[in-house]
Amino acid sequence: MPVTPSATPGRKSAPGVRIGGLTVVYRTPAGELPAVSGVDLELPPGTITGVVGESGSGKSTLALSLLNAVQPPGRISAGSVEIDGLGDVVALRGEELRRARGRHVGYVFQAAQNSLNPLKTVGKQLLDLGRSHGVEDLRALVREARDLLGRMGLDGARVLDSYQHELSGGMRQRAGIMFALVLNAHLVVLDEPTTALDMITQATILRIIREVHEERGLTTLVITHDLGVVAEVADRLAVMYGGRLVEQGPTRQVLSDPRHPYTRGLIQAIPRLVGDIGEARALPGRPPTLATVPARGCVFRERCPLRMDVCESEHPPAVAHGTRLVSCHAVEAGAQEHGGEAVAAGAREEQA
Amino acid sequence: MITGQGITKTFRQRGGVLGGRDVRALRGVDFSIARGGAVSFIGESGCGKTTLGRILAGLESHDSGEITIDGVSMTSLRPRARRPYFRRIQLIHQDPYSALNPTRTVHQTLAAPLALRARQTGRAKGWIDERAEELLGLVGLDPGHVLPRYPHQLSGGMRQRVVIARALTVDPEALVADEAVSMIDVSLRLGILGLLRDLRERLGVSVLFITHDVATARYIGDDGELYVIYRGQVVERGPVETIISAPVHPYTQALLSAIPVLHGLEVPGGQPVTPAGALEEDEHDAGCLFARRCPFATGRCSAEVPVLGRTGDIPQEHACFHPERRSVVAMPAGRA
Repeated sequence: MPVTPSATPGRKSAPGVRIGGLTVVYRTPAGELPAVSGVDLELPPGTITGVVGESGSGKSTLALSLLNAVQPPGRISAGSVEIDGLGDVVALRGEELRRARGRHVGYVFQAAQNSLNPLKTVGKQLLDLGRSHGVEDLRALVREARDLLGRMGLDGARVLDSYQHELSGGMRQRAGIMFALVLNAHLVVLDEPTTALDMITQATILRIIREVHEERGLTTLVITHDLGVVAEVADRLAVMYGGRLVEQGPTRQVLSDPRHPYTRGLIQAIPRLVGDIGEARALPGRPPTLATVPARGCVFRERCPLRMDVCESEHPPAVAHGTRLVSCHAVEAGAQEHGGEAVAAGAREEQA
Repeated sequence: MITGQGITKTFRQRGGVLGGRDVRALRGVDFSIARGGAVSFIGESGCGKTTLGRILAGLESHDSGEITIDGVSMTSLRPRARRPYFRRIQLIHQDPYSALNPTRTVHQTLAAPLALRARQTGRAKGWIDERAEELLGLVGLDPGHVLPRYPHQLSGGMRQRVVIARALTVDPEALVADEAVSMIDVSLRLGILGLLRDLRERLGVSVLFITHDVATARYIGDDGELYVIYRGQVVERGPVETIISAPVHPYTQALLSAIPVLHGLEVPGGQPVTPAGALEEDEHDAGCLFARRCPFATGRCSAEVPVLGRTGDIPQEHACFHPERRSVVAMPAGRA
């Protein structure tokens, strides 16, 4: 697909993204350890995909890989990230890469925290952004920023005149979304977009993410630890654990009928507003860290109620169940036992 | 028993978009928490819930009102004389990473306050290690594994347990848990909530739970009370299950409506309430503080001030002229 020059205000279309065999390692005294291992994930054009994982799952590293922005001591050691109109980002270097960030891929950093420069007004930072990307018509850029902020329910001119400390968490987050979109990027990555925001602000931000996604025709990736956030915005859900994707599929299907024991445990561990308190329970054990992720076998086996011998030695491959991909030996063993039933369930899913 | 009556607190704020005026963080809050009880304060950031927690932990002064601890009025005491009382109310922070000294092992972290305790109560040195192990066991950690470790060697959930163990070194009467699970991994959150519930039952410690996530309030005990705070005022108060299942104040309903729905597992409530605008201080403080954002406000709401109390057959207390039950909370989806 030809690259649309972004100076022309024409409508770019939402790009598709294909992540294949992506492995990111970090150099440590104990050698290079993988934070992300052999991840295959497709973001279909125009969809919102949610990646859910706990601390140390590798989800933020995965997000940074979309910009080829993994910093030393980390590096992408294998795999590719193909973005329509841009090619394989992993192969991009230097100036090419810098220009792609912002123009093609917009990145919204963690909510309300330290993503803005505390010493400059939002407007000043906007001009910096414009200059560094060679935008000639800075007035038009400011107008676009004001419109975007207005679209998100803020007084654009006032926000552009403000310093970070003068904005509330929800306002900063909207300013972050503005920065990600103002150069007309059509692939947007949001890392923990609502962490540290309260519920009403979170609901507002999630609504804005959905609406802006629709209106501008984006492909969106949301990284979060919160299944509720994904349930509210994402069409597709990918669950990450110990650097691997353990399950992915349409959000509602995964939530209503989780297959992987980790997905099941995670859903069961959510404090819920209704229902029996006793039904919810924490997952035993703790999430693995870079140093404790097992090098061989299934990454979840330490905490898994369905653990089998094979889990010790072999990494479970991702197997399709209808529209779902699940990496679990026990699920496969169960599917073979009740072969007919699983096939029928898969067929139902495909119809849904 | 800890009580508060008419607690007020005003902060002076400097210029900026958020306004250059006084922020009335608390506008006369009453509360009481029995020994071993659970009280949860919920509300948006900026509603004053954290200020209330800090005042209770003795980290912040209040402007007016009365706090009593076991019947003793704190206002009647000199600051020095208050200290032993406030020491019995321990604050658990949101961030277990910054709450622990990174250069100290868990053993050192627990031994320092325990040594003081041993001196105060005339116990032998050996008691310190014994008690440290006992406390770690109490919070669900393996002392042999955890004692020699530094905070960075522990997971977030384990660190928060260490913080709780440290709070227990002074045999507190109450724990003030300020967003104590919001930075903990989801799979471990219920473990910490269950621990707080457990400490209430086993040690009779009361828990003051400050959160913006209403659902978590249920898990420190279904016998708990919920206080919904808006701009420094309690707008609805009652048993946690009553308020979640049948809220009557539009602000409570807005908070509950904002909670993400797990589509596929749950179906949204039929009457969601969306407040207009954002929480902002403004000069028009006549009448109900929520009136400006309330979809159901009438002329009366901007003219008269509603007072927290009971009306009609509504079991909980509320401060609304037009209380009405609305179905705002998501319900479990029927499985196909």
